[in-house]
Amino acid sequence: MKSGTFPGGLCLSVQTAGVSMSFEAVPPSRQVTIPLQQHVGSPCGAAVKKGAEVKIGDILGESSGPDTAAVHATVSGKVTEVVKKFPDMHGGASPAVVIESDGQNAVGEFSMEGSDPLTLIEQAGIVDLDREPVPLHTKLVAAKEKRVNTLVVSGVDVEPHMTNRSALLAERASDVASGMEIMGGILGAKVCIGVSEDASGAVSSICAAAGSANVVTLKPKYPQSLKELLVKAVVGKEIPSSGVPEDVGVTVVSVETALAVARAVNEKKPLLERFVTVAGSAVGNPRNVLVKIGTLIQDVLEFCGVSSVSKGKVIIGGPLMGVAISSTDIPVTKETTGIYVQEKGEVTDFPSGVCVKCGLCVQVCPLGLMPFLISGFSESGSYAMAEKEDILTCNECGCCAYVCPVLIPMVQWIKLGKSEIRAQRSSE
Amino acid sequence: MKTPELVVSAIPHIHSGNSIRKIMINIMIALAPAVLIGVYFFGMDTIRVIAIAVGSAIGWELLLQKIMGRPVAINNLTGAAGGLILAMILPPTAPWWMICIGTLIMILLGKEIYGGLGNNPFNGVLIAWVVLQMSYPDQMMYWLAPPGDFMTESPPLEVLKTEGVQAVSEYFSTGGLLMGNTTGFIGEVSSLMLLIGGAYLLIKKVIPWQIPAGFLAGIILFSGIFWLANPQEYANPFFHLLAGGAMIAAFFIATDMTSSPVTPKGMLIFGLLCGVMTVVIRQWGAWDDGAYYAVFLISVLTPLLDKIKPKVYGR
Repeated sequence: MKSGTFPGGLCLSVQTAGVSMSFEAVPPSRQVTIPLQQHVGSPCGAAVKKGAEVKIGDILGESSGPDTAAVHATVSGKVTEVVKKFPDMHGGASPAVVIESDGQNAVGEFSMEGSDPLTLIEQAGIVDLDREPVPLHTKLVAAKEKRVNTLVVSGVDVEPHMTNRSALLAERASDVASGMEIMGGILGAKVCIGVSEDASGAVSSICAAAGSANVVTLKPKYPQSLKELLVKAVVGKEIPSSGVPEDVGVTVVSVETALAVARAVNEKKPLLERFVTVAGSAVGNPRNVLVKIGTLIQDVLEFCGVSSVSKGKVIIGGPLMGVAISSTDIPVTKETTGIYVQEKGEVTDFPSGVCVKCGLCVQVCPLGLMPFLISGFSESGSYAMAEKEDILTCNECGCCAYVCPVLIPMVQWIKLGKSEIRAQRSSE
Repeated sequence: MKTPELVVSAIPHIHSGNSIRKIMINIMIALAPAVLIGVYFFGMDTIRVIAIAVGSAIGWELLLQKIMGRPVAINNLTGAAGGLILAMILPPTAPWWMICIGTLIMILLGKEIYGGLGNNPFNGVLIAWVVLQMSYPDQMMYWLAPPGDFMTESPPLEVLKTEGVQAVSEYFSTGGLLMGNTTGFIGEVSSLMLLIGGAYLLIKKVIPWQIPAGFLAGIILFSGIFWLANPQEYANPFFHLLAGGAMIAAFFIATDMTSSPVTPKGMLIFGLLCGVMTVVIRQWGAWDDGAYYAVFLISVLTPLLDKIKPKVYGR
């Protein structure tokens, strides 16, 4: 079978030798900080007070509406503080519960009840990984209402250097398949999973475990993981401009989500950990680790042997789409897929030059946009022109700025343009 | 680990390492085979013309950027590469003062007057070449014969214009045209060496394939029609491909980033039109070779061709 793909994009050769593909568990920190909001939406209210004793799996915050997701304790110990505002990776802040671990790792009696999968998913506090992570139960309810006919599971690694999805598929294909089947059952939809063709271990194990689900192999090209391109390659339909996959009868979830669903429904266990790739020049050999939610990035880096990143960059996510953070005192949350650490020498400066109209950005744009043009319009404040050239279709994958020979920070300008246009719209 | 000082910026966090300087270095490497065979054919004259052209181009660029109060950007090597390309389309006998006038025009009218690299509507090399061709026709057509036996001391396209198709097939073999064993501009004579350089640029992805492919296809298709209709009067397509400036124009001149279109489709059409126009000028124009004029003329259409955009996802 021919592998699916898309026009444009980047084929990056990335070190594969020495990548540790089995997940090592990062030992729980002495202290964890668990935000009560780990997705797009609202925080849930704290269900514990300062001084409370908690065990693993105890509820810290209960889901109180469609835009909230339950939050659970990931270590046993004492709640030392309920902070109103703890910084998050996006530069904002959300309330958080700080737990001092007693080192016992005592597991509480999970309070998850019932047999309805959707209820269990809601109780497990599962958040689907995406560029804008949302509570999974909300996503599934909305998808059901829209009568989607296909569930597309993203088994493609998010970015070059990130290997956690391939590793998960190779290691835990049967759990993933079970989760896929459960979600397919909830939606009454057929299930497809997209896997990168070069992840050989992942392809063979998921093919063996998939059952009735359809395994679609995809060319290893960035940014295949974006839902626009994934839906096109797997289902053959384009999501309409400024629409959602549900508009074409598709809903997209990630492999991590499928795994969490299997645990929630089969074992009645909440979402307590994330499978994270740690890579970058400061790391040496890239590794895949299993991290308890609430563990500080700094503790993860120390576990991976990263000693100093002074004047370097710590990026949550991958090197192309990840978010650079200003402090490593930020916890791993349900939104974390990877950590990419650059040494000082690897940090790229983008000293914007003058566009020479070479057309490279047009060639690589996977969405058929003219990046230099919309970026230029944004730079000059001509937002109406930028909008006419479909600036809002841009999904900020960064291919354009990656290839630009004069290092124009195109994504930065495009982001500015998009936010200005949206601000203008909402004020009207 | 102490709390480190961290850099924060917008995405992406990595870059391909591509730069104008790297592109220009690759272009100059790709011209090396043509330069070497130029030296073999025309000796020290080739070295003289190239040295004056490259040196004066860098000099003018430095001077003009200082005068205009712009940051000096000779390090990006656009001046050097431009000087080299211009040298390749001058005769080996070109006098020093003419070369210097050419490079001044190339840097001033081709770049700096519009605000520097990226803002110029035309290819500076071509502006310079057209001005020299118009102003100094005698110097521009004072040929030097490469070593070896010759039936004629005129360049192939001049023979075509003055003596006709029969004479062309008598005087020039395909092998001779490939190697460049004819009179002509320093760097245009050997199609083979230019093809080697062009292949290097394509493999290195320095130039888009659409422009040279369109260019050569345009020449073959358009001249092929007339040749099939009347081979007695019109030269065959491969002669058009190998003679004159077709190869250097297709790979090194039409691919100028700023004056060529930005979209893949636009580039293909641009190349096709350049090829067709080359043949039109050669067959019916007043000039022997149309390749350079063709690129110059068709680049006027670039803003129009830029309107042929790719299909936007979801639209």
